[in-house]
Amino acid sequence: MSFTSLPFLVLVLASVGVYYLLPKKGQWVALLAASMVFYCVGGGKTILYVFYTAATVYVSGRLLGHFNDLRRAAPKEERKAITAKYKPYRRGVVLAACLANFVLLYVLKYWNFTAELLQPLADHVRPGSQIPLSELILPLGISYFIFQSVGYVIDVYRDKYQPERNFAKLLLFVSFFPQMVQGPIGRFDQLSPQLLAGRSVNFTDLKYGIQLMMWGYFKKMVIADRAAVLVNTVLDDPWSHSGSVIAVGVLFYCIQLYGDFSGGIDIARGVARMFGIDLAENFRRPIFSTSLTDFWRRWHITLGAWMRDYLFYPLSLSKPFAKLGKFTRKHVKGKLGKILPTSLATFIVYFVIGIWHGANWRYVAFGFWNGGIITLSLLLAPQFLVWKEKLHINDKSLGWHLFQVARTNILVFFGRYITRAPRFLTAVWMVKETFLHPNLPDLWNGTLLTLGLTQWDFAVVIVGVVILLATEWYQEKQGPIRPMLETKPPLVQWLATMVLPLVLLFCFGVLRADYIPEGFIYQQF
Amino acid sequence: MNSKRWLLGFLATVVALGAAVLGFNWLVDPFGIFSHKALEWPSYEMTLNPRTAKITYLKDHHQEYDSYILGCSSVSSFPVETLNEYLDANFYNMIVYGADMLDVEQQATYLIENYEVKNLVVNVYIDNAKDYNVESDPRSYAMPPETTGESALTFYPRYLFMDPRHSLDKLRYMAQDTYLTQPFDVFDEANGAYDKKVRDAEPIGNMEEYLEAYPVFADYPDLSNQTNEAAITGTLESLSRIKALCETHGIRLIVLTAPVYADYLDSFPWDQVADFYTRLAEVTDYWDFSYSSVSFEPRYFYDESHFRECVGNMALARIFGDNSVYIPEDFGVYVTAENAADHVAQMASAEPLPLEEYTDQVPVLMYHHIDPQADDNTTITPETFEAQIAALAEAGYTAIFPDDLAAYVREGKELPEKPVVITFDDGYLSNYEYAWPILEKYGMVATIFVIGSTVGDTDHYKDTDYPITPHFSYAQAKEMVDSGVISIQSHTYDMHQWGPYEDTDQPRENLLPLEGESEADYRAALSADCETIRREIQTGTGEEAVHVMAFPGGYYDTLSLVTLLENGFDISFSTEVGTNTLVKGMDQSLLALDRYNMNESVSVEEMLSYLA
Amino acid sequence: MKEQLLQILTEAVPGVDFETETALVDDEILESLDIVTIVSEIKEAFDVEISVDDLVPENFNSVEAMLALIQARQDD
Repeated sequence: MSFTSLPFLVLVLASVGVYYLLPKKGQWVALLAASMVFYCVGGGKTILYVFYTAATVYVSGRLLGHFNDLRRAAPKEERKAITAKYKPYRRGVVLAACLANFVLLYVLKYWNFTAELLQPLADHVRPGSQIPLSELILPLGISYFIFQSVGYVIDVYRDKYQPERNFAKLLLFVSFFPQMVQGPIGRFDQLSPQLLAGRSVNFTDLKYGIQLMMWGYFKKMVIADRAAVLVNTVLDDPWSHSGSVIAVGVLFYCIQLYGDFSGGIDIARGVARMFGIDLAENFRRPIFSTSLTDFWRRWHITLGAWMRDYLFYPLSLSKPFAKLGKFTRKHVKGKLGKILPTSLATFIVYFVIGIWHGANWRYVAFGFWNGGIITLSLLLAPQFLVWKEKLHINDKSLGWHLFQVARTNILVFFGRYITRAPRFLTAVWMVKETFLHPNLPDLWNGTLLTLGLTQWDFAVVIVGVVILLATEWYQEKQGPIRPMLETKPPLVQWLATMVLPLVLLFCFGVLRADYIPEGFIYQQF
Repeated sequence: MNSKRWLLGFLATVVALGAAVLGFNWLVDPFGIFSHKALEWPSYEMTLNPRTAKITYLKDHHQEYDSYILGCSSVSSFPVETLNEYLDANFYNMIVYGADMLDVEQQATYLIENYEVKNLVVNVYIDNAKDYNVESDPRSYAMPPETTGESALTFYPRYLFMDPRHSLDKLRYMAQDTYLTQPFDVFDEANGAYDKKVRDAEPIGNMEEYLEAYPVFADYPDLSNQTNEAAITGTLESLSRIKALCETHGIRLIVLTAPVYADYLDSFPWDQVADFYTRLAEVTDYWDFSYSSVSFEPRYFYDESHFRECVGNMALARIFGDNSVYIPEDFGVYVTAENAADHVAQMASAEPLPLEEYTDQVPVLMYHHIDPQADDNTTITPETFEAQIAALAEAGYTAIFPDDLAAYVREGKELPEKPVVITFDDGYLSNYEYAWPILEKYGMVATIFVIGSTVGDTDHYKDTDYPITPHFSYAQAKEMVDSGVISIQSHTYDMHQWGPYEDTDQPRENLLPLEGESEADYRAALSADCETIRREIQTGTGEEAVHVMAFPGGYYDTLSLVTLLENGFDISFSTEVGTNTLVKGMDQSLLALDRYNMNESVSVEEMLSYLA
Repeated sequence: MKEQLLQILTEAVPGVDFETETALVDDEILESLDIVTIVSEIKEAFDVEISVDDLVPENFNSVEAMLALIQARQDD
């Protein structure tokens, strides 16, 4: 069930209605029912995977909670012994829960990639043998709900909070429908209490929810879906286009990706907001990032945070890394020796983020790209300081800031070559084309108008992006935009928050760019 | 604005905008399903969906019709005017794209139950053996709920909630509408058929040129078709229900099977075709035109499956026993249960007629002024002229009138062994003084195209002081006509003006539209000119039928041809060089005929080589 | 102990007024990388065991919080 489909809107309206009609204690049931409907319509039988994940984290959570209770109940002097006694069990349970989910994810999402990789080896060992491929359908949003659920188990393991005792309530946490498709990846302690709380109708929540949804639809339908037409034309078949057209294709892909992803998140957050629920923030104006690290703090925030809490920290503080740290401190002088292990952990994290996106060499390369640049800049940071001093660069100056932003965006831009190219090697070729055979006249000789978008569509995309950037600039510099609007006269509010958005959404979103005039193809007069 | 007010405002805005879009779709109504008169444009609406728009149109106009012809797009080429004449009825053509027999049954039932119906003509096409109750585009092919019993609750919202750009398109095309048929406006709402005025004005003759213009016939697509038992059963059942319905209501039902292009019918296995046509006869008697020599002549078709109106006319003439019209002998058989098996077996052996049986080559000679001092490429001396005419007679040529061409094409009346048409443009006195006696002497006939406004101008151009080559008068013309040697026809009344002598910036030097002239103004001007020249020639010379036009300067275009046809000028001559191919049954082969320009420099040998 | 911690902090992340800041993590003055660096320094300098469970913002938002954490772990 796509966010941009009519049934989705009907589901949202119906569930909001039912939600506020129910007694407060039972309101969460409406959310669960809506989530089940949403998943069944969108994912059909694959809802079984959701039950599977919920069941695994429910059972393991309860077990871990039991061990935590035992430990807490023990008198202070025995606590250490008890902790030590149960440590292997707790580790076993959390490991089992993680494996139960990540193995599933691996089989569904990564097995075929591995199988293809290993096929030559299999041929070598036993000629003619065929590694079986998985024909299972990838369940909707699996990378999101598995990470969210595993985070829950690890938190319980860390005794951050008590496990959920009601399976249905945990199932709601795992499957809450607005965040099923694109996230954000929520945290149990922040999300679950909100899901279960009872509320009376709050008009401000409804208003803000609708406004956020409209903003999301604007980004998704007006900007991203339109840009997608050009992106598909150019990047599905980059070989037929010159370097500069490819670059435009990638630029539009950046626009599409941001519009689609952050728009989807805004819709999800808007829907949740109508239930009075605040979902985690997932984007914070990544266009203004000053470094690639900063970018990953602003782009897909919940994934980065998940990786930080459940991968980066444990990895950095693990025994092997501690040993490595000791070793490097001894053998490498100065700051470098201290940060080497951290840099390695950082690289691993970005590598994992890369392959989180999908099973493909391109994402492996994407992991290398981000991890490599960030790790290098970490390692070279002391050297940069020296250069900056020599060049008399003022860290606080506007020029330097702009330079950083530009640099970051350029790095992100070339990173996108990797993720959207048909194959990794094609991405390399595409970058080469961009620099070696740009054929710049293609940018103004009308070639751009042959890529599926009319000049009107270009105008819509460009104006849309300008509106987006202006809004984000205001938010970055001045703060939230809605309180500012609410001080304006009613007529201005009416135009700016109702008429304009609705008209724009209808004319440039609902009415798609791929309209075909009816009829004249049939007649044979 | 507090949040509650905002929400109410938002709701109201959504409702208002929604209502605006729905209202716009309802008002503009590009598919012609809402029966209101605002922004009515039936021919456009029929183009988008003939199924809905025709039913809507008939709600207001059914009293003008008492008979209907139904079926898929081939049915459009059975001209309702011809049917009206033969049956003394008022037919409406219900043709819809890709009609299957269920569509036809639903239409027929609706018409019979709601309106007065005297005659029903139903066309069965070979595709009816392939498709029945086809699932098709829910907007362009949808039948109106009145005929299908579909709930209005599912039907109308499809059109209310559609992309309003369909409505915008209608407004946009309204601004672009022209008199001639356009792709967005292919129907003639007054008779329901495709608007064929452009097709009927298309000069057709030479096969090579035709195949160049219609390459599909030179390289027919390699199709492989199968009939379908369910479709045949469905079709035959629908048909028998239609038949029963007609019997109970006392309606005359004529079932016919339209001509199919041979290669298309051949794309079905023959035993399947035979099966279908045999079983059809068990349900009803029918007139079969599907497979005959006509099916093999590409010029009778305008695309791989659609025949021209001239073929429709031949078919109707066969049905109604009109012997005045040319019909190929093997075209049209009345099939009953008794003769069905024999007929179908015989049908398989249909083959093309030999070309010489239904086509002929006719050269046309074009003269202007005869002058003892001939000095340009349109003048000739009396001596040379006489030599040429003598040579023609010597070589066995028979001169004929344009009417003889028409009789060949329309009635199949054979032409002489070696026909030639001799023509003179402009109406010079020299034609009277020199040509007439010479022609008479050699037993030849000729046609003179006079410019009405200069008839009888012996020394001045119209009312001016400018000198002019003398033109004969109507009295002289009448003498010639009476002699039976000369036919006087039109070179326009006043659309061959000599620019420098005219007191206007925009003289009409030919019958094309002037620059910037509106379509309506032009058509009015040309029609008035046609009427004037016809009246003048008829009153001045007693010429019976003035219906032949030589284009001034040789110029013409589609709009001028269409307008001339509407004004009864159904034979025309251009100045292009060549010999003409006439095709029996094909009126278009009389349009824009080619002519050889004759003058002093054309030797007798050269002339004879043209004609060979 | 506070002086030693402050020295570790300023060395790891120069240019921050650690004495007054009370929302070092929440305000994103310290990022994950800094925290890991600081933790490994603390482990080295004070010989305490700090586990992943301790890596929550509350423990690193201020110098005082970090001192409390070190104290608690030394007591274990």
